Amino acid sequence: MSVCVKNRLGILSLLLLGPFLLAVLLPFLWMALGMFKTNTEFFQPLAKAFFPANYDWQNVTELLKGRWVPFWAVLGNSLIVSLGQALGAVALSAMAGYAFARFTFFGKRLLFVLAVALILVPRQLFAVPLFSWVNELGLSDSLFGVMLPGVVTGLGVVYFTQVFRQVPEEYLQAARICGAAELRVFLTVLPLVWPALLSYGMIHFILAWHEHLIPMLVLTSETKQTLPLALAKLYDVSQRTPQGVQMAASTFAVIPTAALFALCHRKFKSSLSDMLAH
Amino acid sequence: MLAADQRTPGARWTPFFFLLPFLFFLLLFWLIPLIGGVQMSLHANGLGQAEYVGLAHYEALANDERYVTALRNSFVYTLASVVVIVPLALWLAHLLRASFRRLRPVLTFALLLPALTPPSVLAVLFLMVFHGRNGLLNQLFVMPLSFEPVNWLKDPNFILSGLVLQTVWRWTGFMTFFILAGMEGIPRVYYEAARLATGSRWQHFWHVTLPQLRPVLLFVAVYLVVDGFSLFSGAFVLLGGSGGTADAGLLTVTYVFQKMRFFEYGTASAISISLLPLMIFALSGLLFLRRRTA
Repeated sequence: MSVCVKNRLGILSLLLLGPFLLAVLLPFLWMALGMFKTNTEFFQPLAKAFFPANYDWQNVTELLKGRWVPFWAVLGNSLIVSLGQALGAVALSAMAGYAFARFTFFGKRLLFVLAVALILVPRQLFAVPLFSWVNELGLSDSLFGVMLPGVVTGLGVVYFTQVFRQVPEEYLQAARICGAAELRVFLTVLPLVWPALLSYGMIHFILAWHEHLIPMLVLTSETKQTLPLALAKLYDVSQRTPQGVQMAASTFAVIPTAALFALCHRKFKSSLSDMLAH
Repeated sequence: MLAADQRTPGARWTPFFFLLPFLFFLLLFWLIPLIGGVQMSLHANGLGQAEYVGLAHYEALANDERYVTALRNSFVYTLASVVVIVPLALWLAHLLRASFRRLRPVLTFALLLPALTPPSVLAVLFLMVFHGRNGLLNQLFVMPLSFEPVNWLKDPNFILSGLVLQTVWRWTGFMTFFILAGMEGIPRVYYEAARLATGSRWQHFWHVTLPQLRPVLLFVAVYLVVDGFSLFSGAFVLLGGSGGTADAGLLTVTYVFQKMRFFEYGTASAISISLLPLMIFALSGLLFLRRRTA
């Protein structure tokens, strides 16, 4: 294809993508600008007051100082829960995936079906029995009560099974010939698949960050809450939180996951492409 | 499938050593609650020692108009979201591939921003998009095309379309990303071979791209079905947990939550359990497709 045709095609596709980009980005822009607005400004028709009259940081400082919700504690809780879940899920799923990909054993088929069933029947569907069980385990109102149920994932197991299937057998044999125990072999292979580990960790972190139902049932005290719960409280009409504060909190809730994805984006995509190429 | 390593007698137990942590947590936080759910659905409403009522909750559900409505709405909602999102994402992925190489990561990232946003924040954004007369959708699309402004979240004729629009807005970019990654994984040789056989781009798409993308498309469809039927997310926050006017937007998730709020745990569990046959059906379809791909 000549350069000229290629450029023309590029511009055409940009034009076609334009409306979609606008539809996605406009609400986000409105949200971010919203944190500088007063309540009266906020409720005016969009065309009239899309941009705030002046950029006043008062809403942001009020939020950060914890006037409405204990913002830093909440942010910390969300980080702990999401990181813990992501690390746990990666460890469990990578080990299970390695077993499924590299061994034949009794009951393998059944166990794999169970892992797929876990994708289709997410634990959110059984939130109430899960909640009462977590209570019985003595984990109510504890971050562990949210974190531990979140480490089992069917998606992760299926993903890592696929990943470990693609590791060339020679690597494993080489390690085994050196007399390494199977755990050592596994640990030697891990660096080879680190983009996959990172990618899945990121996806799981994002899912955990968004989780609303189970934290809502398990975490009751204010200082134990995660970000989605705090947001729900801010949005609650009876709290009379200024709209600007709500917008500031919403914006800050998006930033961590967006930044994480922006950082890992390239590795994630190439790891997916590699996996699907086989 | 690769053969197992069976040098030593102890090697028989090695796979279970790797599986053990996963199985332990699976049992503890999935299987036990699942069984708990089945039990709860067979007992009277309320926590703790409730009376055994057999299948009464299920019988009540069969005659519950709201349950049937919720099931029907969920079905339409999920089907519509798959039917709209998959082709749209395929198209967007092609557009992204045709656009300038350097811009591609930025554009992809912009498109999937909604998928990175917590559902509770989405509620706020939707308010702006769907809000009565002043909402973005009415101001930018409906009114300029000289239609009457639609009250998206109140008019029972539009609530379900609003919900579908919400899920399309939320997931299309994310699915585009997966399809794009899948497309980049297709070996070039396939296209070169196809070029020798036929010249048409449409035929390349039909005979090379689409079959090669089958695992990705499968993943996308499964994700959307699970999200549509059993996750507590976008559609729920958009209507604040209500079913909307005349229950036009009542989904199964919403209904489960409404029952929970009134401590009708037996009924809530029965609704969740009643979705299982549906999921098992999906599961068998999935395994069948997987076998054909392999």
